[in-house]
Amino acid sequence: MSGGNGNGSVRVGVFICHCGGNIADVVDVEAAAQAAARMPGVAFSSTHMFCCSDPGQAMIVQAIRDHGLNRVVVAACSPSLHEATFRRAAAHAGLNPFLCLHANIREQVSWVVRDRAQATRKAVRLIRAAVARSAHLAPLERRRLPIRPSVLVIGGGVAGLTAARDLASRGIEVTLIESSPFLGGRLAQLYRIYPTGQFARDVLNRLIREVAGHPKVKIYTNAQLWSSEGFIGDFRTTVRLIPRGVTEEPADLQAVLDACPEEAVDQFNLGLAKRKAIYRPYDGCYPPLPAIDWRTCTRCGACVEAAGGRGIQLDQEPEQIEIRSGAIVLAVGLDTYPLRHGEYGYGKFPEVITLAQLNRLLDPTGPTGGRVEIRGRPVRRVGFLHCVGSLQRKGVHPPMRDGRINEYCSRVCCTTTMHTAAELKSRFPELQVYDFHEHIRTYGRKHENYYDRVCEQGVVFIRFDPARPPRVESDPKGEWPLVVRTVDRLTSGEELEVPLDLLVLATGLVARDMKRLIDLYRCSVGPDRFLLEVHPKLRPVELASSGLFLAGSVQGPMDIAEATAAAAAAASKAAALVCAGSIELDPYVARVDETRCSGCRICLQACPFGAIARREETRQAVVNEALCMGCGTCAALCPCNAIQQCGFDDRQIGAELEALLAPEPELAAVSSQEAFDGKAQGR
Amino acid sequence: MERRREDRQDGGSGWEPRIIGFLCQWCSYTGADNAGTARIQYPPNVDVIKVMCSGRVDPELVLAALARGADGVLVLGCHPGDCHYISGNHKTMVRMPLVRSVLRDFGIEEGRFRHDWVSAAEGEKFARVVAEMTEEVRRLGPLRWPQRLQESGFRTCAAPAPCGEAVR
Repeated sequence: MSGGNGNGSVRVGVFICHCGGNIADVVDVEAAAQAAARMPGVAFSSTHMFCCSDPGQAMIVQAIRDHGLNRVVVAACSPSLHEATFRRAAAHAGLNPFLCLHANIREQVSWVVRDRAQATRKAVRLIRAAVARSAHLAPLERRRLPIRPSVLVIGGGVAGLTAARDLASRGIEVTLIESSPFLGGRLAQLYRIYPTGQFARDVLNRLIREVAGHPKVKIYTNAQLWSSEGFIGDFRTTVRLIPRGVTEEPADLQAVLDACPEEAVDQFNLGLAKRKAIYRPYDGCYPPLPAIDWRTCTRCGACVEAAGGRGIQLDQEPEQIEIRSGAIVLAVGLDTYPLRHGEYGYGKFPEVITLAQLNRLLDPTGPTGGRVEIRGRPVRRVGFLHCVGSLQRKGVHPPMRDGRINEYCSRVCCTTTMHTAAELKSRFPELQVYDFHEHIRTYGRKHENYYDRVCEQGVVFIRFDPARPPRVESDPKGEWPLVVRTVDRLTSGEELEVPLDLLVLATGLVARDMKRLIDLYRCSVGPDRFLLEVHPKLRPVELASSGLFLAGSVQGPMDIAEATAAAAAAASKAAALVCAGSIELDPYVARVDETRCSGCRICLQACPFGAIARREETRQAVVNEALCMGCGTCAALCPCNAIQQCGFDDRQIGAELEALLAPEPELAAVSSQEAFDGKAQGR
Repeated sequence: MERRREDRQDGGSGWEPRIIGFLCQWCSYTGADNAGTARIQYPPNVDVIKVMCSGRVDPELVLAALARGADGVLVLGCHPGDCHYISGNHKTMVRMPLVRSVLRDFGIEEGRFRHDWVSAAEGEKFARVVAEMTEEVRRLGPLRWPQRLQESGFRTCAAPAPCGEAVR
């Protein structure tokens, strides 16, 4: 019998797996094998107890050789489990692995259909579809791309620094870019950090020493992402370097700072202090040179004069550099929840501050030298309010500027609150501390200890009703600056009035405005606006766009330990990629048929990866195979059917469709009319 | 190959809905596997064609399935925002109302076409969608579009050439 589907040379081998009894208990595999043997193009059909076992694979290899098979259809479990196994077996027999197809008759037939006749019919349909499709398959080659052995790390906080250190320690060239003039990110603003109680600055300084001193690491601060070209293996990122203004350390820094007449809100101290236009966020920062804040500086020249005309330049122009790398690690971090004016009294009462601000006050090197006082008044009673900007509910919390609300838990605020409350109570034992919460989630290792400690220290816990969050008002009697009104669900739902000197809002964490980054690298974004990994368990630090890795809290709220672990994972994945020297990609790329392309540009807009360009000479679309991820969206949209996706072209899908919908022969009749002697039938 | 579509047991007591399901490989196909792993039973009437992304589902493919004898078509992709290819599912979402309006123009009942989201973890939802779709198409009865097209003089769709060529 000649092969069907208009291709006389096709010789398909069909291998049907019993999978122990997983398939054969429901599907009549022998009847299916007999039905397969009658399908056009099938030269051999057989069953095996376990096709994926060594003897099963050996049978496939042997049959390919003995019967001159040039297509293989394996009807077994889901292709996600063993497609690669059977492709390897086919390759072992000298066949192109992409001439091997899989029919899923376990997960999608025998495990979901109880009726034997129905299950068998469905299995035969799927096998027939695979056989029909296989006739139209063409050999495909996996693409091999060279990888540049260097990595660009974007973000100089704890995650970016950790990733850079880990990559450099493997001998990989690393370029680290940071958009602000100083490294350290949010870690630099913290005081003591849980669960060790270490000074954040100590942890940071050690990390910076390891990175900045490393010969494989190049650091650019004041570096803004400008544009990006290229793809996995060879990204070309253009970065705009904003001049620092200061080229050498002034002999008398204090005199220079004093000379500057311009003041700005000190963002490093979260608005609790002011600083000059030429500034250093804290002593011991990196790089140690001060920087000029160009938005505040009027270029009056007072600092140049105070420095004796040396080391300060106010007329430097921004400069652009191109950074080439094989992979990119995104470590741009997150933001704290932007409080609205008057939200829980914030901005209305100076006695309402955020948890991050309290951390600046507790820091002995901070704006108050470590004293916790508001407008010079000491504090007797402190309240902490949890879940500000987290676990928000529709109808209770007004949406943010972009119309959304934060329904997720910010994860780090509970333990930070407990940790900070414990620090307060041990430094100021007379202080009365109240904790207003909906839930307390001290989930991490050793985190619960902080909860236990503050319980022992006498912190009073008040559980509010999330549908009626606490209200912050001024004290009508005027004795205290603030009064918090709430119901307490830990008692009988009593209405409470708690007078306070200071209310600390445990503000949640939100994704940064990453529009530029998202556009440049075509990142997937989750409903919470953080960047989205390919799979939370299988590929937790990779973006869908190849060669991009996620380090730390760009992916969602994380504490320092978690961000460090994520950064180490990202570094390890990026290292594995760039150290391999080259990479294999699936061959399901799109191809343009020049005889059909009309140059309409629809595919250019359709491609999510920017992989299609228009060649001006021919006015036709051309696919960059290194960028093409193989989704087939362009093939679906092309009005001329000029773009086809390899492995999923119209003829292949059409043949599958046709075979699925063809009239079904009676299976019982097949098995009674045609006598088969043994299991394996060759023709 | 000889076509014998008239032999199908249309309308008779033995008629079973034949539905083609286009599933993206990352979410919905894995979701269907998930239903299997959880041993959730559902009707065997939806035959699955795997594509890499629901963005590959050309409206022509939906029409081709109906023109070749399917009684219904199901297109399943990743939830909005979860696409492995960033925005392929969004493009499908934008395109599918067009399919609906074309089907309406052909006088084909709305219930014969469904576009939905099934994530890799939603085996239960996959089984539910399949059961609902099968029930709906069973209620509507056989479509017999190839025969109807043939009767009205549309010969191309009954030809045995691959659908991509035929519908073009």
